[in-house]
Amino acid sequence: MLTLSNLKKSFGTIAAVDHLSLEIPKGEVFGLLGPNGAGKSTTVNLAVGLIVPDSGNVSIDGSGSPVDVSVRRKIGVAPQSLAIYEEMSGRENVTFFARLQGLRGRELKKSVDWAMEFVGLADRQHDRSNKYSGGMKRRLNLAVAIAHKPLLLLLDEPTVGVDPQSRNAIFDRILMLREEGCTIVYTTHYMEEAQRLCDRVGIIDGGRLLALDAVESLIAKHGGKRMVIAQTNGKRVEVACDDPLAELQRMQSEGELETFHVERPSLESVFLGLTGRSLRDE
Amino acid sequence: MNAILALAFKDLRLLMRDKVGFFFTFVFPIGYASLFGVIMSGMSGGSESTGGIPVVVVDDDQTDGSAAFIEELVASKEFEIQKSTLDDAGNLVRKGNVLAYIIFPKGFGQARERIFGRIAPRIEIGVDPSRQAEVAMLEGLLTAKLYERVQEAFTNPEVIAKQVDESLANLAGEEDVAPVTRAALMTFLPALKIFSKAMADDDSSGGMSNAIQAANIDVVSVARNETEKLNVYAITFPQGIIWGVMGCTAAFGISLVVERTKGTLLRLQMAPLNRTHVLGGKALACFLTTVTVATVLILFGIVVFKIQPNSYAKLAMGILAVSLAFVGIMMLLSVAGKTEQSAGGIGWAVMMVMAMIGGGMMPLQFLPQFMQDIGSISPVKWSILAIEGATWRNFSYVEMALPCCVLLGIGIVCFTLGARAFKWSS
Ligand SMILES: Nc1ncnc2c1ncn2[C@@H]1O[C@H](COP(=O)(O)OP(=O)(O)O)[C@@H](O)[C@H]1O
Ligand SMILES: [Mg+2]
Repeated sequence: MLTLSNLKKSFGTIAAVDHLSLEIPKGEVFGLLGPNGAGKSTTVNLAVGLIVPDSGNVSIDGSGSPVDVSVRRKIGVAPQSLAIYEEMSGRENVTFFARLQGLRGRELKKSVDWAMEFVGLADRQHDRSNKYSGGMKRRLNLAVAIAHKPLLLLLDEPTVGVDPQSRNAIFDRILMLREEGCTIVYTTHYMEEAQRLCDRVGIIDGGRLLALDAVESLIAKHGGKRMVIAQTNGKRVEVACDDPLAELQRMQSEGELETFHVERPSLESVFLGLTGRSLRDE
Repeated sequence: MNAILALAFKDLRLLMRDKVGFFFTFVFPIGYASLFGVIMSGMSGGSESTGGIPVVVVDDDQTDGSAAFIEELVASKEFEIQKSTLDDAGNLVRKGNVLAYIIFPKGFGQARERIFGRIAPRIEIGVDPSRQAEVAMLEGLLTAKLYERVQEAFTNPEVIAKQVDESLANLAGEEDVAPVTRAALMTFLPALKIFSKAMADDDSSGGMSNAIQAANIDVVSVARNETEKLNVYAITFPQGIIWGVMGCTAAFGISLVVERTKGTLLRLQMAPLNRTHVLGGKALACFLTTVTVATVLILFGIVVFKIQPNSYAKLAMGILAVSLAFVGIMMLLSVAGKTEQSAGGIGWAVMMVMAMIGGGMMPLQFLPQFMQDIGSISPVKWSILAIEGATWRNFSYVEMALPCCVLLGIGIVCFTLGARAFKWSS
């Protein structure tokens, strides 16, 4: 659905995206995970043709360039920085952008109804959007992106500054969209989100794609060993091991095992393993 | 086209919800035009012009009497007289080259000889109503000149006696004089003869000329009746329209910058649109708004202040030209600033200067000549001319063509420059 080949984009001396290649098949939820400044937004902007790459190529749905008007109709984007008219109501925003996508008449009304309902803003759709909370604005940003039922949806950090409730609502919607066959690119610097939502995750840092695979495979490959964290003889111990059960049995044989739990490696540890830095520090 | 309409409609909706924008496009211009109209209509006299008042005279009478009076005017330093034909005279005034034209109609010379004729010397004065202050002065000076003759006569009892006798003879020959008037004149004129003789003999009274002062004022009002009643709102409303149009221009110029900073321009860029749609939508919205603002303002002036445009068709032509010019200016402004503040600042600075030198603040006629010349580079001057040409300057279509074409040129050049400089992302 979306192919990025060898994309490069520099701003001055900063290589925001550095020889990045990706192939995202139809119907996949793809996560682009990386800290702030990693090049996620630049990648999204390159993918939708908002900026022109220094070199490399983007192709959508076979062979289309995102600059093509006909290709643009297939794309929906929720930019990281909210892009809505604050003086207009939520519904007016969605209607306006859907009309620009070529929707008219009954089809337009139906699509807008659907989008407002979908993001859970139907009851507030006639309020000016500057009266919305941060989470509601994010959801409106999403509604604008999906109203014309795009085949490819790019969501750039759609949960930043969003309350947990709105965040869960957004997750549910994204999974529903995947059910409908939409291809989704989701960027985030929260590894829990990537882990929870995405079929495959690309880890990006300094404009480079460091790893790309299904979450489980990434963890298996780069996450390191599992951790056994236990309280024995009043002391807290943390042990990295391949076989936690064997390790626990060993501990119990040595003394009283008071409490324990096993931590699976996460994408966090994958990032740490790949870069030597923590994702959260940023 | 659908996309352009959607874009334009969106902008109109946003403008309507912007209270500050609404204030500057409607409320402020109406207030401005009304307030200055009130101030200007209260103004009279006091022009500090150093040279004579530029006036063009037309001698339709062609008698010794009229020629002599015109020579008196030419000789006086208060006037700067230019002789002309009727057609040219009107044009000279309308183009602002002279303050007024004065037409001395047939019978002027004769009427002037007959002080007590019931026909006052009928003079037609055609003025540029924007120069109200100077017009009042012109009337005063002209009246004084006309009455120098009368004063002269009154200081000389023999002239009075001759005039009285002539007038009485004429009165006897005229049939359509109301009996009351006839009776009054029959008593007044002989009495005047005796009175003037007595005054001339009595040195302490200062002669008849002092006694006649009151009569002077009556004659001023006679002259006034001949002057076209002027409506100062016809001057202040074109100015108000320009303010309204400039308000729209600033609002739309800034709105494109706001779309950029708020990120909605990115969304437009991602939509299946090209720059023609986006700029076209912006231009269309701006155009519709300026036309609406100008129309609403002039209708307000027509309904409330009784402005009577010379021609509605020419008015429409003027308004269209003004709107197109300012759409172009809007386009240029919209690429001038990077932030809302800088765009707004640049926009208003440019507008202020244009208004100042173009007669948007003070009618150009009140400014020194060099300022009037500089004004020609300001679209405001041409805009005011285009609207005034249709409201009271009574321009022909040919005369309308000049300001309208200049405005169109300004619009096209600015739009082209602005559209070329437009970039999706900065
Ligand atoms: N328009 C721009 N001008 C200059 N530098 C930019 C611009 N956009 C992004 N960058 C730089 O490119 C790098 C990647 O930015 P970005 O793609 O926004 O990262 P992310 O979205 O992952 O936080 C950063 O160092 C950022 O400062
Ligand atoms: Mg980003």
